[in-house]
Amino acid sequence: MKRILRGAVLPVLVFALWEAGSRAGLLPMDTFSRPSDIVLAFAAGVSDGSIPLATWLTAQAALVGFAIAAVAGILVGVILGLSPFLERTVGPSIEALRPVPAIALTPLTLLLFGFGLRMEAAVVAFACVWPVLIVTVAAVRGIEPRLLEVAQALELAFPARLRKIILPAALGRIVVGLRVAVSISLIVAVTVEIVMNPRGLGYGMIIAQQSLQPALMYAQLLWLGLLGWGLNALLTRAFGQWHGAFGPGVSP
Amino acid sequence: MKRLPWLGAALFAAGLLVLWQVLADRQFISQVFFPSPSRTLSELYRQLASGQLWKPLEATAFRMFYGWALASLAGVVLGAAIGFSRTARDYLEPTLEFMRPLPASAVIPAAILFFGLSNSMTVAVIAFGAVWPVLLASVHGFASVERQLMEVAAALRLSRAQLFLKIAAPSALPDILAGARVSLAIALILAVVTEMQASQTGLGQNILLAQRSFRSPELYAGVVTLGIMGFAINQAIVVLERRLLRWRGSHE
Amino acid sequence: MRESPAAVLSLEKVRVAFGGRPVLSDISFEVAAGEFLCVVGPSGCGKTTLIRMLAGLLAPTAGSIVFGGRPLAGTSRDRAIIFQDYTKALLPWRTVAGNIALSLEAGGIAEPERGRRVEALLAKMQLAHAAVQYPGQLSGGMQQRVQIARCLAQQPKLLLMDEPFGALDAITRQTLQDEIARLVAEERTTVVFITHDLEEAIYLGDRVIVLQSNPGRIAEMIAVKIPRPRSQLETREDRRFLEHRHRLFGLLQDAEG
Repeated sequence: MKRILRGAVLPVLVFALWEAGSRAGLLPMDTFSRPSDIVLAFAAGVSDGSIPLATWLTAQAALVGFAIAAVAGILVGVILGLSPFLERTVGPSIEALRPVPAIALTPLTLLLFGFGLRMEAAVVAFACVWPVLIVTVAAVRGIEPRLLEVAQALELAFPARLRKIILPAALGRIVVGLRVAVSISLIVAVTVEIVMNPRGLGYGMIIAQQSLQPALMYAQLLWLGLLGWGLNALLTRAFGQWHGAFGPGVSP
Repeated sequence: MKRLPWLGAALFAAGLLVLWQVLADRQFISQVFFPSPSRTLSELYRQLASGQLWKPLEATAFRMFYGWALASLAGVVLGAAIGFSRTARDYLEPTLEFMRPLPASAVIPAAILFFGLSNSMTVAVIAFGAVWPVLLASVHGFASVERQLMEVAAALRLSRAQLFLKIAAPSALPDILAGARVSLAIALILAVVTEMQASQTGLGQNILLAQRSFRSPELYAGVVTLGIMGFAINQAIVVLERRLLRWRGSHE
Repeated sequence: MRESPAAVLSLEKVRVAFGGRPVLSDISFEVAAGEFLCVVGPSGCGKTTLIRMLAGLLAPTAGSIVFGGRPLAGTSRDRAIIFQDYTKALLPWRTVAGNIALSLEAGGIAEPERGRRVEALLAKMQLAHAAVQYPGQLSGGMQQRVQIARCLAQQPKLLLMDEPFGALDAITRQTLQDEIARLVAEERTTVVFITHDLEEAIYLGDRVIVLQSNPGRIAEMIAVKIPRPRSQLETREDRRFLEHRHRLFGLLQDAEG
C-alpha cells in the first residue's frame, strides 16, 4: 500500500504544479495548456465521439496488422522451424528484410494502397511479424523430437499435425512473441498516423496541434499513454512479466 | 562433396531477384510499384557515385547518434541513481512503467508545439524515445548487483566512487548494453520519422520525396540503404558487446 | 575460559536478535593472536551470523566485541572474510589477477607495487598459470583459492572463513585445508573458521567451539592439543583426534535435537 502511495506522489505533484503554474501565468497556455482544460477537452472529445472513433480506428489498424503478422509469423516460423534446410536456404533472404525500419516502408505502402486502413495495417504487420517469427522458429526447434516422431508415426497430415502437436507444444514460447508484437502494433500504428496517415489518435494529435488546440492534443496523448499502459498491464496479468526490463520496444 | 553452407541461401536469394527482374521487365508486375532490381541497384549506384547519398545518410546518422548518445548518458546516470536507491524506485517506478509503453512518436505533436519544425524538435523526440530502454535496463542492472559483491566491497572498504566504477558499473554493463542496442534501433526509427515529419534532409525524407513524385527506384533504394544502415549498427553493437562481455562466454 | 593478555579478539555476552527473535545469545570467548579457532554447529545455529558480525557486516544487539584493543564497529580492511559461495564473491568480469588486485586497489596500492604483490600471491596460491583466466572458467577449488588470495592481499590481522570448503569435493577440500593451515602458520594470522564438518574443525583448529541452536549458544569449547604440522592421514587416526571427535560428536547430536 505504501508503495502505491509513493508511486502516486510524482504524477500528482506534476499535475498540481502544472495546474498552478499555468493559472499563475508562469506557463504559456499555447504550449502547456493546463490539466483542468485537458480534462475538459477529453470529456468533450468523448462526448462528441471523436476520441472513441479515433481510438477505434487506431486499434483497428493495430489489430489487423497484428493478426496478419501473427498468422504469417507463426506459419512461416513453423515451416522454417521444422525444416533446417528451408531455414538455411530461405531464412537469410527473409532475415535481410529485418533491419529495415518498418516506418521506412510507409511511403511504399502509401504508394501501393493509398491512405487508409490497408497501408497502416501493412506497416504494422511488417513490424510485428519479426518477434513472432523469431520466437516461433525457436519454439518449434525446441520441440521434443519424440513428439514429432509420434506425429509421424500417426501419419497425421500437416494441418492436423500443426493443430494437434506442433502448436500446442510450442505455444508457451510463441505467446511471448505475440505479446511483444501486440505492444509493437499500437506503437507503430500511432507512428504511421502521425507521419502521414490521416486517421486515428496519432492524426488527431497532429490536427489538434496544428489547429492550436493544445489541450485536446495533450488529452489524446495522455489517453494514448493510458491505453498503452493498460494494454501492457493486461498482458502482464495474463501472461506474466516479460523478461525485458527495457520494455517491448523494437525487438532486438 | 562438401557443400558450402551459404550456397543454398545465396542461390535462393539470387533466384528471387532474377524472378522479380523477369516479372518486372515483362510487365507482369507494375514497375511503378515494384521496380526491377536492376533499376533499384543502378539508382543506388548512381546516388553513391554522384555523392548524393552522403549528405542525407550523414544527416540521418548524425541525428540518430546524437539523440542516442544523449539518451544513453542520461539513461545510465539516472538509472544508476534510481537503481541504487530503493526509495527512489518506489517513487519513480510507477511513472517509468507508465512511460515505457508510450509510443515515442506520440510526443512529436507536443514537441512541434514547443520547438517548431526544427532540429531541436528532432533531437528532443529522438532522445525522449531512446532514453527508456537504456534507462530501464540501467535501473535493472544497478538494482541487481550481486548482494555478496556489495558485501565484498564493504569488507574491502571501497569508496563510493570505487564501488560504482569497479563493482556496480561492470555488473550492470550487460544490461546496459542490451538496453543501448534497443535504444539505438529506436533512435534510427525516430530519426527517420522526425525527418519525414519535419521535412528535414535525410534518408527518411528522400524516401518520402521519392514517393510523392512516384520515383519508385529511388524509394526502394532508400529503403535498402536504411536496411543496410540498420544492419550495420546492430552488428557494430554486437561486436562491441562481444568484446566488452568476453568473460561471459566462459561461464559454465 | 582462559584469560589471555595477547587476546586479539574478545566477545563478551554478545547477543543478536532479528526482529525480536534471538539468533545468538550469550556468546563470550577470546581469540589469541595467531590462534586458529574453529566454530562448529548444526545448520541454523547462527554461525554465519557470528562470522558476519565479526566481519562488521552486522552489529550485535547487545554485548561487546573488542578487536585489537578497540570496540568493533563496521568493516575494516584488517579483517578479511572469505564467503562460502565463491561464485558470488568474485568479480566475473575480471581475471584472476584482476580479482586479487581489487584488494590492493582498495588499499590504494599503485603500480608497480601492486603488480608485484599480485604476482607473489599468484605464486603462493599456485594460481600463476590461471592468472588471465576468468572465474567462470575455473573449477570450484581454484575459485576459492582466488578468493583466499584476494583476502590475503589485504594482509589481514583476522581471517574469517565462512564454510569456505563446503561446496567442494572431498579431495579438493583436503588439499585446501592443508594449504590454508600452512599459509596461516607462515603469516601467523589469527583465524576464525566456521564449518559444519566436525572433523574439519578438529583437524584445522587450535580450539573448537561447538554451538547449539535455537538460539545459538556456546555448548562447549575445547583445546585441540595435537601438534602441528598435521597430516590428513595420520592426524585423523591420532588418539587425541578420536577422543575430541567422540566428545564433540555427542554434543552436536544433542545440539541438533
